[in-house]
Amino acid sequence: METLNLSTRKSISAFKLTKNTTSSLKVSKKAKVFIYIFMIIIAVIVLLPLIWLISSSLKTQAELTANVWGLPKFLHFENYVNAWKRGRMSVYINNSLIAIIVTIIITVVTSTTLSFVLSRLKFKGNRIIYYIVIIGMMIPIHAAVIPLYILAMNMKLQNNLIALGFIYAAFRISASVFFLESYMKTIPKELEESAIIDGCSLWRIFLKIILPLSKDGVITIVILAVIACWNELLVAMLMLNEPFVKTLPIGLMGFVTEYNAEYTQMCAGLVIACLPGLIFYALLQERIIKGMTVGAIKG
Amino acid sequence: MDVIKNKKLAIIMFLLPGLTLYVLLVLYPIVNGIVLSMYRWKTVSIKVFAGLDNYLGVFTDSLFWKSVKNSLIFMIGTGLIQLPLGFILGYLLYLQLKGYRFFRTVYFIPPMLMSVAVGYIWGYIYSPAFGLLKPLMESIGLGKYYLPPLANSGTALFFIILAQAWHSTGIQMMLFNAGFMNMPEEVIEMSVIDGAVGWKKIFYIILPLSWEVTTSVIILQLTGALRSFDLIYVMTGGGPNHATEVLPIYMFVKAFQEFNIGYGAVAAIVIFILSISLTVGLQKLMKKETF
Repeated sequence: METLNLSTRKSISAFKLTKNTTSSLKVSKKAKVFIYIFMIIIAVIVLLPLIWLISSSLKTQAELTANVWGLPKFLHFENYVNAWKRGRMSVYINNSLIAIIVTIIITVVTSTTLSFVLSRLKFKGNRIIYYIVIIGMMIPIHAAVIPLYILAMNMKLQNNLIALGFIYAAFRISASVFFLESYMKTIPKELEESAIIDGCSLWRIFLKIILPLSKDGVITIVILAVIACWNELLVAMLMLNEPFVKTLPIGLMGFVTEYNAEYTQMCAGLVIACLPGLIFYALLQERIIKGMTVGAIKG
Repeated sequence: MDVIKNKKLAIIMFLLPGLTLYVLLVLYPIVNGIVLSMYRWKTVSIKVFAGLDNYLGVFTDSLFWKSVKNSLIFMIGTGLIQLPLGFILGYLLYLQLKGYRFFRTVYFIPPMLMSVAVGYIWGYIYSPAFGLLKPLMESIGLGKYYLPPLANSGTALFFIILAQAWHSTGIQMMLFNAGFMNMPEEVIEMSVIDGAVGWKKIFYIILPLSWEVTTSVIILQLTGALRSFDLIYVMTGGGPNHATEVLPIYMFVKAFQEFNIGYGAVAAIVIFILSISLTVGLQKLMKKETF
């Protein structure tokens, strides 16, 4: 089992993040200097707004208007305390997490079962179903948002984070199946054939053979789902209007309009809103980069 | 016989959860959207069949065409910045000079930030009250040319494009980089021995070898830009004077601020059709290009 695991993984993880040899990529010293200067300039452009934001979030209002550039004299962490409390950040983060957890569970259940059947079993209509599912990748959520809004209204599912998670999951199915189906196809056929002869049920084959071997693929679709849903604004904005069910993006919008004149506190709120994404990135950098590239280019 | 019967049942059981959800929440809304686009429905109570009236109304609405134009400018503008810059950065990282991991980590920070927050951050950077841009221009002696970028209908879209490019160029960079990493190294080594260096190497070797990835990146970039909503909505809400009103914003304003569901549904269908034709069209177009 372990050796098979390795060989399938090798063939699946097509995208490399590092190379071994660099002999063909010799760069002259002069070119190197230019490259470093260019890369440093871009890094400054990327980091400067963030450093400025963090520095502003630690100043007092008077300090900020007097000197936009300078670093804060004293670190005013009370901005963060205020933003966290008055901005109800913990409530919004909590709501976002609920929606995301529902999304992950539903996405994994629906797309692993669909991908398993579509990739491993022969039956009439297999390809038709596959293409109907895949076509959803080209459907922007905008195109469906008005009917979804009406549907939620009629079914009294507004302000329901679980319903929101179901909508998000439905829109993750296409891309997840596209990715998982090709992933599951690389698992050798002989495995389940012998299992069928042994009298294994499909359910057991799915749970004991295919699912464990697709672990990396499942992690990828989960990462992509998290990134997509954590940021989602439009659908959340239309589905949720009670303050205590708002997800972080709409909660943040309300916070900014409400405390519009208190810049330093708002900067603190923006830093807080950015932090979960950054922590996620710090913890799972390689996986995220790999997941996004494989997901985007192959799926 | 019994086994086959059971297998059929099992297949249905496996298909059911995913298909139900997909049909109910993705396909049905699309079809329902087409139906809605043919109804005059301004308030929630009265719904009158109107045939193609909404289409006529939208297609003769100058604001609609303005939003199409803005969407195109936004797509091309972000594309012109993000694709070349993403390509260059992806290539420079591919060289794997010392410290490239640090730069890769830094460049990929913005895509990891919440897009609503990024919209506000850039709104503040441009803000005359305490933004970064004004003192920056003053420090290089251009202070008197400063105008609030987002309050001016001539410049607002351009400055939103810059913010969007800051936010998401890292994604193009990462995709190009992954494409380069997966080129067969022997071919590149051979080509270098054969004298392909500098620009020649990039245009005749690197680009053709990573053509598939390039195609994906371009399609993703353009369809992504067509769908852009968050950043623009947060920064200007489509204003000033509709200068930054792109198609998704037009749809949102029509359907949920003016409560003209029919017009909004037409705009949604336009986005849907543009998105599909861009994907399919570009795929066909770029496949023909063989090196």
